[in-house]
Amino acid sequence: MRDVTLAIAGSGGDGVITAGDFIVQAAARKGLNAFMLKSYGPQIRGGESSARIRISDRPIYSQGDFVDFLVVFSWKDFARFSDEIKLRKGAVVLYDEADSTPPEEFPIAAELGAELIAVPFKKMAAEEIKVPLTKNMVALGVIAALLHLPLDGIKDAVMKKFGKRKPEAAQVNIEAIDLGKGWVEKNLPDGTQIVLEAEGTGEPKLVMTGDDAVAYGALHAGVKVFAGYPITPASPILEFLSKWLPHFGGAVVQTEDEIAAITYAIGASWAGKQAMTASSGPGVALKLEALGLAAIAEIPLVVVNVQRVGPSTGIPSKSEQADLFQAVGGTPGDVPRVVLAPSDVEDNFQVAIEAFYIAEKYQIPVVILSDQFLGERSETIDPDVLFARKRVIARQLAKPSDLKEYKRYKLTDTGVSPMTVPGMKGGQYITSGLEHYEDGRPTSSGTMHQIMSEKRARKLPLIAEESGFVRVYGDEDAELAVLAWGSSKGAVREAVERARAEGIKVKAIVPQLIYPVPEKKLDAALKGVKRAVVVELSFGAQFYRFLRAYYDGLPKETYSYARSGANPLLVSEVLEAIKEHAGAMNAPQEA
Amino acid sequence: MEPVKLTAKDYKTSVPIVWCPGCGDFGVLNAMQQAAAELAIPPENLMVVSGIGCSSRIAGYVNAFGFNTIHGRALPIASGAKLARPEMTVWAAGGDGDGYSIGTNHFVHTIRRNADITYIVMDNNIYGLTKGQVSPTTPHGDYTKSTPLGNPDRPLNPLALALELGATYIAQGFSGNVKHLRDLIVKGTQHKGFAFINVKSPCVTFRGRQEFNVVREHGVYLDESHDPSSWEKAHEVTQWKEKIPLGVIYHVHGVPTLDEIARDLQHKAEEQGHVETSKDLLEIFG
Ligand SMILES: Cc1ncc(C[n+]2csc(CCOP(=O)(O)OP(=O)(O)O)c2C)c(N)n1
Ligand code: SF4
Ligand SMILES: [Mg+2]
Repeated sequence: MRDVTLAIAGSGGDGVITAGDFIVQAAARKGLNAFMLKSYGPQIRGGESSARIRISDRPIYSQGDFVDFLVVFSWKDFARFSDEIKLRKGAVVLYDEADSTPPEEFPIAAELGAELIAVPFKKMAAEEIKVPLTKNMVALGVIAALLHLPLDGIKDAVMKKFGKRKPEAAQVNIEAIDLGKGWVEKNLPDGTQIVLEAEGTGEPKLVMTGDDAVAYGALHAGVKVFAGYPITPASPILEFLSKWLPHFGGAVVQTEDEIAAITYAIGASWAGKQAMTASSGPGVALKLEALGLAAIAEIPLVVVNVQRVGPSTGIPSKSEQADLFQAVGGTPGDVPRVVLAPSDVEDNFQVAIEAFYIAEKYQIPVVILSDQFLGERSETIDPDVLFARKRVIARQLAKPSDLKEYKRYKLTDTGVSPMTVPGMKGGQYITSGLEHYEDGRPTSSGTMHQIMSEKRARKLPLIAEESGFVRVYGDEDAELAVLAWGSSKGAVREAVERARAEGIKVKAIVPQLIYPVPEKKLDAALKGVKRAVVVELSFGAQFYRFLRAYYDGLPKETYSYARSGANPLLVSEVLEAIKEHAGAMNAPQEA
Repeated sequence: MEPVKLTAKDYKTSVPIVWCPGCGDFGVLNAMQQAAAELAIPPENLMVVSGIGCSSRIAGYVNAFGFNTIHGRALPIASGAKLARPEMTVWAAGGDGDGYSIGTNHFVHTIRRNADITYIVMDNNIYGLTKGQVSPTTPHGDYTKSTPLGNPDRPLNPLALALELGATYIAQGFSGNVKHLRDLIVKGTQHKGFAFINVKSPCVTFRGRQEFNVVREHGVYLDESHDPSSWEKAHEVTQWKEKIPLGVIYHVHGVPTLDEIARDLQHKAEEQGHVETSKDLLEIFG
């Protein structure tokens, strides 16, 4: 097989995620594509966890619907992932013989005809390595040998992780890997029915999570102050920047709450430095009043929302696309703002750069709508593509001529007025959350409010024109289109390719800029489309309703495929939706 | 060339003042303008951040980079500004509701981080802007619009709270004594760290003119007999029941500030390894 999906399930202490990380890194070193999704139960420590890894020499867009190769340390833990880990017919399943579950009680359907293999993972680690914790490394050796994963790459990754700081640990882990490999040579000399036949390009790739990518993108864009409050699944952004921003003369504050986080960022940006905050839905809810302040005071600001399942605490560790309404409209007043949606890990990096570009150029708050599915997954990416986009700009400062009778909110054609920062003589002004005249003095005049509302809104069509391309995949001239946003892109793109392979003409349309709606680009993408299906993970079909409300160019026949999140969008369900609509379009019309 | 001498007038703005005639906040504004002149801070190097309330309007009345923000959030905005531009002078200002009710969380943590800003609270024991509801410093039993049966809550003691939290400069002023208040602001601004100044600044409209007399009668100016470097002495003063302490209650030096700590972390990071450009970070993803 050139495209294998494997999963490892166990308890927190089993080192499932570590093993998964090593596999992905090994694949990256060989120039293979890999994609890893981590999943945890609700326990803080020691609960069940799973790593699901897809490896291929072809581009990978999704997590893969079905698992070809499964490693189970504990059947009980695996059973908790039965929603997410669906086995392919004829899958290979390795399980620890130490688990006492009798075979007739294994939680997998008999009709799958899985190839079941008991392996003494725990025993080998305990008796031969004498370090029971190396069980995951023994498994890694077994997996690598059976799947034909690059063993040297795995060892390299282990050395990189432990080599310098803990050379003994590196040695022990490598012994454990070799032990696993040796076990396969002795006990399964003919291997199993599933083998990865993909050859890497040999050009090493990078491995990045979406959260790290957005933080790294912000760093590249010149962020100098970041403030945040921990929340799953956005905390890695805070952690990444805490580690790296000080290297770039910046500062990170873990504030007392999310309101302080966004207001620190607003203060820093008002003072002249690029600033960002990040959270997830519940934290962003707390930030919304301040988002309005940034909008009326026209202060550049970037806010990241790594969406999780809501409402309220919902399912904190899982993904959903149901904060769209919050991002677009969840603030008192008419708040001009920009909403950008990254669609994969690399895009998280690019969107962060774009967000700062728009925020600084247009003096407007920009919301990046990522989600858990994007934020916490790891993907291999091409180092060359990262820095291709050259959109890094500094604060756009007022010119000396603007400072004569300086008007911070001067009415202009673009809605963008000259901005000063402290230290610029004659540049001082009053700003506030109050409606104001051009010089910033507060007013309660309705006429001024109308004028200023128009001024602020003038930026939006310019942003729609300049930024946020609309991605189109598939048949240019298709009459059937799937509209999706954010992390749904992966499954939708793959489903469109599969449908086309089956002879259906279809395309996927995925805007990067959600608000303001890039109308012209959407019009172009939808040209000739007779029927559209809006696919999303929001029970309330927020994207469908958003498009209906904000965009006039949808085909008359536009349908919604929406369900609640938590379980990732499957290629197969999107494919089914495509087939259903393609069928309906081709059905003879009633007279 | 002789530096141009700045006077309080240089810190006036053209923003019309909306306060009621006789409002205590006028005295605070005068003191701030005089302090700025005395410190000779160029207006473009001064940032004045406030929350929301009658008192918070003050940000518009001082010639500076002024920011009249949202209710309760003056301190984190001021902190973010100071962090971004440590070379600027940052003042935060607001009311008792703004600072001790909706903004308490930030009050606590700004003290903890010792952000190098001067925070002037115009404590009028009432919500002025919203027209006369009880505030966290309204005395127990007082009648206000939202306590028609008498205030059921006991008031909060901001001086004691700040001391307990480890504030490094704690003072109390009176808007009826502008010179004294000006000096407190000058000292607070010169202090490296969080300088907290609670100002008795009566709301004549909702608490009455006699509030000025209350401070005049019960106010006690701290003299040399008070040692502001002594926590115990300061504690004693914050616990006064009838008398109202006026002056510097507590003042200690040498506690690292928010922006100093940020710079320390930058040096620490540099010691761990120099990173020239963001592209150099690519290797951590290899
Ligand atoms: C989030 C929010 N809640 C409530 C208000 C209404 N509000 C404005 S000022 C204020 C209290 C003002 O009291 P204080 O801070 O003591 O200032 P003063 O007017 O007395 O100077 C309140 C409750 C608001 N503007 N924003
Ligand atoms: S209501 Fe009170 S606090 Fe507000 S301006 Fe009038 S006197 Fe001053
Ligand atoms: Mg008040």
